[in-house]
Amino acid sequence: MENDTAAHVPTIFYIFAGIALCCFLYNLKRLFTARIGRPEVRSLRPWEVIRNTLYFGVLHLKVSSRQFGYATIMHLCLAWGFITLLFATTVDFLAARGLFLNILPGKDTPWFAALNEIGGLLLILGTVLALIRRHSSIKPEPLPQDALAGRDNLFGDTGVLIFLLLLAVGGFLAESARLAIEQPATAGASFIAYPLTLVLPSDLWQSLQPGLWWSHAILALALIALLPRTKLFHILTGIVNVALTNTSERGTLRPMNIFALMEDPDVDLEGLVLGAGKVEDFTWKQLLDVEACTECARCSSVCPAYATGKPLSPMKIIQAIRHNLYAPAMDDPASMVLVGELISPENLWSCTTCRACMQECPVLVDHITAIVDMRRFLILSEGKPPEDAAAYLEKTAQQGNPWGFPRENRLKWAEDIGLEVPLMADKQEADVLYWVGCAGAYDPRNQAIARAMVAIFQAAEVDYAILGKEENCTGDPVRRMGDEYLFETIAGQNIEKLSKYSYNRIVTTCPHCYQTLGQDYRQLGPAWNVVHHSEYIQELIRQGRLKMDGEVTGRVTYHDACYLGRHNGIYQSPREVIAQTLSWKGELVEMARSHAQSFCCGAGGGNMWYEINQGERINFNRFDQAVEVGADTIVTACAFCMIMLDDARKVRDKEESVQAKDIAELVVENLAPAIPGLGKREEPARVYGE
Amino acid sequence: MKISVIVRQVPHQESVLKISKDETWIDEENLVFITNESDSYALEEGLLLKESQGGEVVVCTLGPERAGQVLKDALAKGADRAIFLRDDSFDRLDSQGMARAFAAALKDEQFDLILLGLQTDDIGNAQLGPILAEELDLPHATLVVGTEMLGRRVKVKQEQEGGWFQHIEMDLPALLTIQSGINKPRYASLRGIMAMKKKEIRDLTAADLGLNTSDLTPDQVLVRLYVPPKIKDTAFLEGAPDEIVAQLVEKLTNEAKVL
Ligand code: SF4
Ligand code: SF4
Ligand code: SF4
Repeated sequence: MENDTAAHVPTIFYIFAGIALCCFLYNLKRLFTARIGRPEVRSLRPWEVIRNTLYFGVLHLKVSSRQFGYATIMHLCLAWGFITLLFATTVDFLAARGLFLNILPGKDTPWFAALNEIGGLLLILGTVLALIRRHSSIKPEPLPQDALAGRDNLFGDTGVLIFLLLLAVGGFLAESARLAIEQPATAGASFIAYPLTLVLPSDLWQSLQPGLWWSHAILALALIALLPRTKLFHILTGIVNVALTNTSERGTLRPMNIFALMEDPDVDLEGLVLGAGKVEDFTWKQLLDVEACTECARCSSVCPAYATGKPLSPMKIIQAIRHNLYAPAMDDPASMVLVGELISPENLWSCTTCRACMQECPVLVDHITAIVDMRRFLILSEGKPPEDAAAYLEKTAQQGNPWGFPRENRLKWAEDIGLEVPLMADKQEADVLYWVGCAGAYDPRNQAIARAMVAIFQAAEVDYAILGKEENCTGDPVRRMGDEYLFETIAGQNIEKLSKYSYNRIVTTCPHCYQTLGQDYRQLGPAWNVVHHSEYIQELIRQGRLKMDGEVTGRVTYHDACYLGRHNGIYQSPREVIAQTLSWKGELVEMARSHAQSFCCGAGGGNMWYEINQGERINFNRFDQAVEVGADTIVTACAFCMIMLDDARKVRDKEESVQAKDIAELVVENLAPAIPGLGKREEPARVYGE
Repeated sequence: MKISVIVRQVPHQESVLKISKDETWIDEENLVFITNESDSYALEEGLLLKESQGGEVVVCTLGPERAGQVLKDALAKGADRAIFLRDDSFDRLDSQGMARAFAAALKDEQFDLILLGLQTDDIGNAQLGPILAEELDLPHATLVVGTEMLGRRVKVKQEQEGGWFQHIEMDLPALLTIQSGINKPRYASLRGIMAMKKKEIRDLTAADLGLNTSDLTPDQVLVRLYVPPKIKDTAFLEGAPDEIVAQLVEKLTNEAKVL
């Protein structure tokens, strides 16, 4: 203890340390490149910052993932090894200066020595696990593997792992040498370094000691100096980024207030930024996201577009933005045009905004807003929607629905079978406003669901009404495609109609309508109480207003719609409703990817309206996942999911063996007593639908 | 190059059409009106030519108040200015009258090229182009599915029957009627929509154009508009071939009254 004083460390070391620190500070300038971003107001409370840092930074809450078991263990070893050693080194440093000696442990305090060893061991274990993962058959396909340099990082991924490995092994060796020379009484606590001392004779340790100490010291200082230029920079950026993330607003598209913009007479048309086409068009927080990306490839591993061979990898999108962000700081003049060159439009159009990437991202990157901002640039600034989509956008503007069916026919789903549905225009007020949606109004498969919903309202004697011809598309597809101008236009029309009547809440059968009416419209003004039909039916059952007589047999699986589950956290209501319809011979089975890990059906983000002619179709892939668990009924709670999966069922030639049903249909078929003309007792099939 | 594109407003293809009370037109209430399909292709062709050759695109329409929307849409997509022929006396013009009105509006502007859709989706008689070309004394080509500029000449690809094409060249100025599908009409960007508000739309009345009543009196009048009644009357003629022929001739002469 007494010979390990500050005097023991040569002065030249301090000079080196000073240089390292200066280099570190200089290299840190990378962190501040995010300043070129546009302003964005963060309304973060201090406790949120502390909570985020603790949860996501220190405790690694998001690193731990069901889907990535190996990687979770690997990273926990690396991170906790690193944190432990950082702590230990700091304590050593202070102790060596004679600071806080009364409260700090010394190098040879047994528990502290053991902790040091554990840290080193974890770090070695972590690096070895990581090296194996990168260089063996278990490497996840989208994971980058640039060996010793690459992607704006010094030493690349493998290089930095070897660096860490050398550091940890060197640390053990230096410690062994010290133990061999000093022979402290408690040396046994160093359960690795001490046994190592026995391998070599002590005079050899004596001669090796300076070399070991210096190489370890130099390596450690080099790491500090260069850290901001290596992949390990994510330790800093990751923590800063999660600390400043507003977790409740992640994935929320920013309002653009286009109408206000259009009325502004002095607007500078040339300088106007609409969406993000260049790196500086993103907000500083989006750029901080980009800096924080650890290139772990989790986002791409779970991305349905990537999985089906579409030209999209969310990680590459984030990296492309970062490449342009760092280009000046990395002295790389070859920065390319972001949208169009580095990121192709097909890349952007392939995204279904399913949020799987955001669910898994350990540093809380917000991929969806970045992607939609670039789509906004393509549409609003360049006038370049996906090739087939322009027609659908125009139809939405002209007829109020993307199919382009006449507004006049918006009630045909009911009129055609002589169903009397009360209109808000006649009633003026009701308990529930049932939002039928374009799919319910026009798509034959979804018309059946709308009719089932009417049956449920009737059975439960709900005081309800619909808007009928006054209803418009909510604007979900156009907004997610990036056409914020059209979105504001049609949302405005809907808000006007919705504000005319009085009702307690809006019930919708489509998660996209649910999201738009409930969340998106809030940005434009009024907030309504919007309920998804899975929640509403669950409530009616709980209140005893719907009596169920479950007769469903066989294996039933539920497909979590992204805009119900991941975007809005509703997982249990539909499952509870399904449970009510099962007989003792029926069972609810889960697909390998369910709940928050669900795999999109492929229709979200406007993808219902155009085709990316590359790779497999996402809905076929999802359908196959259901077949894999032996499901004979796939239950959905989303208009688009139904169209997609029903379509896949037909193409896969499984019309006989696999049914696709909405929860509302399932409920109507299992009501007790059954409604004449509806449900199983009269005729087993969907009589109300055809 | 100075290009004029004629765009016209028609009811949306998916409209549920109802015949008006006087049976001379359709009920326009609750209808959604849009730019005539082949006119949007003509506009796109004009914009593409302007992009490659430089110059300006002037859009022109004729119709009631609501028709102004097609001009705005065209300006938002990139046309430079617009001419709106609007007058109560323009109501229900026939093709000849329309051609006179457009000719009066365009004749002094020295356009190199006048483009319009092959036909409108409402009446669909495809006459305006050729008559207007005559009025302006210009060479013209119809059913154009491709254009290529050769200095002061234009080479066009015309669609013929049975999958055949014909390539012809003519001197500018000229008039072309464009077939749908020749290009991919663009989507108006918000930037374009905002720029549109600052662009000129010039209103011209019959008086401004120096047209009098006799110029505008239609030679062709729509007498009655109705949905053809569904009559299905199938008769089987039996007997030897000679007898059948005799019966058929008798029926065509006396019942169907076509012989
Ligand atoms: S939102 Fe879904 S489709 Fe889009 S990048 Fe993320 S995982 Fe892929
Ligand atoms: S964006 Fe997030 S999930 Fe994707 S690679 Fe970066 S850190 Fe990993
Ligand atoms: S359609 Fe269904 S599965 Fe697809 S994005 Fe929307 S909610 Fe998700």
